[in-house]
Amino acid sequence: MSRLARRCERLSRNLATVASDPLPSTSSPRPPRPSSKPILYSSVILNRAPILTPSPTTFERAFYAYQQRIRRALHNPFPSEFYFKQGSLLEARFNSEERFREKVAWGPTYAKEEDLSPEAKAAEQAAMDQMALQEKSDDKLMPRVHPSDEARDYHSLDRKGRRNIYLIIQRAAEDGQLVWEFPQGQPVEDELLHQAAQRELYAHCGKNMDTWIVARKPIGMYKPSIPTTTSTPTPEAITFFFKGHIMAGQVNPEKFVKDFAWVTKQEIETRVRRAYWEGVKDMLSDH
Amino acid sequence: MASSLLAWCRARPVSLTPAAHVRHYAKPADANAGDTRLILIRRALYPGNIRNRASPTGTWRPDVRQTIQRAIPSVQAHHTIERAWLLHRRLVRKRREAELARKFECMKNAMDELKRVDSRLYSEANKVEDPRARSKVEMEKMKQLPALEARAFDARVRGLFPREMRIPAETPSKNGWNYEWKPIERPL
Repeated sequence: MSRLARRCERLSRNLATVASDPLPSTSSPRPPRPSSKPILYSSVILNRAPILTPSPTTFERAFYAYQQRIRRALHNPFPSEFYFKQGSLLEARFNSEERFREKVAWGPTYAKEEDLSPEAKAAEQAAMDQMALQEKSDDKLMPRVHPSDEARDYHSLDRKGRRNIYLIIQRAAEDGQLVWEFPQGQPVEDELLHQAAQRELYAHCGKNMDTWIVARKPIGMYKPSIPTTTSTPTPEAITFFFKGHIMAGQVNPEKFVKDFAWVTKQEIETRVRRAYWEGVKDMLSDH
Repeated sequence: MASSLLAWCRARPVSLTPAAHVRHYAKPADANAGDTRLILIRRALYPGNIRNRASPTGTWRPDVRQTIQRAIPSVQAHHTIERAWLLHRRLVRKRREAELARKFECMKNAMDELKRVDSRLYSEANKVEDPRARSKVEMEKMKQLPALEARAFDARVRGLFPREMRIPAETPSKNGWNYEWKPIERPL
């Protein structure tokens, strides 16, 4: 605030000496006017939402096991004759599974052993084997960790199923260096910012993606600080970011896009320039 | 006279349910009395209403006292676990709220900056679209497409969540991510 006041004073003093205009400058400090109209850019933060539910932490698992044991101690008798036909295979399987679960909950030595004769035990085992044979199916559940996680394949959209991953592209900057950033571009005349964001995304990454730009409003902006030099004043460049989701498809990069990556927030920090990161980090999801 | 009255009061508590209100579904199922499935369903749905036990559906396991002592180490331990859980949930909640606050702050700064820079773009960004409205370009497009494709085209409504956004699941799908998606031309 003091810097602004001093600048206003200097300005008014200059005006006084040059124009000898008795018009006083405004007492309230004006915001510093940019040298010319700022250049606007539209950028897209394309997010692949989590595919998998978050894994419970060790504490959460321990707590859930503790609560389950309390419920198991307190619950009312299970109406077995309602759910299972008496003497059926399903009932036999349920009873043996239940005995196992009791052992797991209270320890193997807690419950008093039922007097199951060896013949009865063998019969039950045979029943269970028959059921397993009948119910055998090829529907196996897929593992939560995808091969692309181990292979560190940053092009894969199956990686990091539990996390939010974002698209960043690598392009050649003006000084020839390769920089990682979100796809961005300038809106053409009469185009709105969110439309420009969608168009730029297609221009950089092709149309083979089922994307959805969420809203007309930007979710954030990045304004790099202009170095204060005495040369011709450069207009400031403001980039507005728009949130997008990808539901299917893959990036088909254009020639000027050197590389692309689907990365988490922490991985973005290691790739992107420091100033850019500071401007962008608060828009991204931690998990 | 009084002594006999007292004796009657102190006797085993007699059920106060009148005979007409007693439900007989809770009786053990007789094999040849109609459809056993219906009898079982009635037993599950309508427990006996003669109040001569602690619970109509049956009480806990017979060794509940020892079992509960095995489950809960001590009263203090139970309270500590409870407090630790509440603290954990509080930390998770605070983290989530802080992240949302940061994101909102970013959005607010961006809109303030846009307002400062370009008022036309700002007012356009703030415009609320009617999701039912179809633009002229879209209407023209729909007339040209065949019926099914026109429906698929129409299904994606601006401002609403698309149907293709899936909620997270325990395990990924067998086929994984759909990389071979064919684009539908949509005007911006």
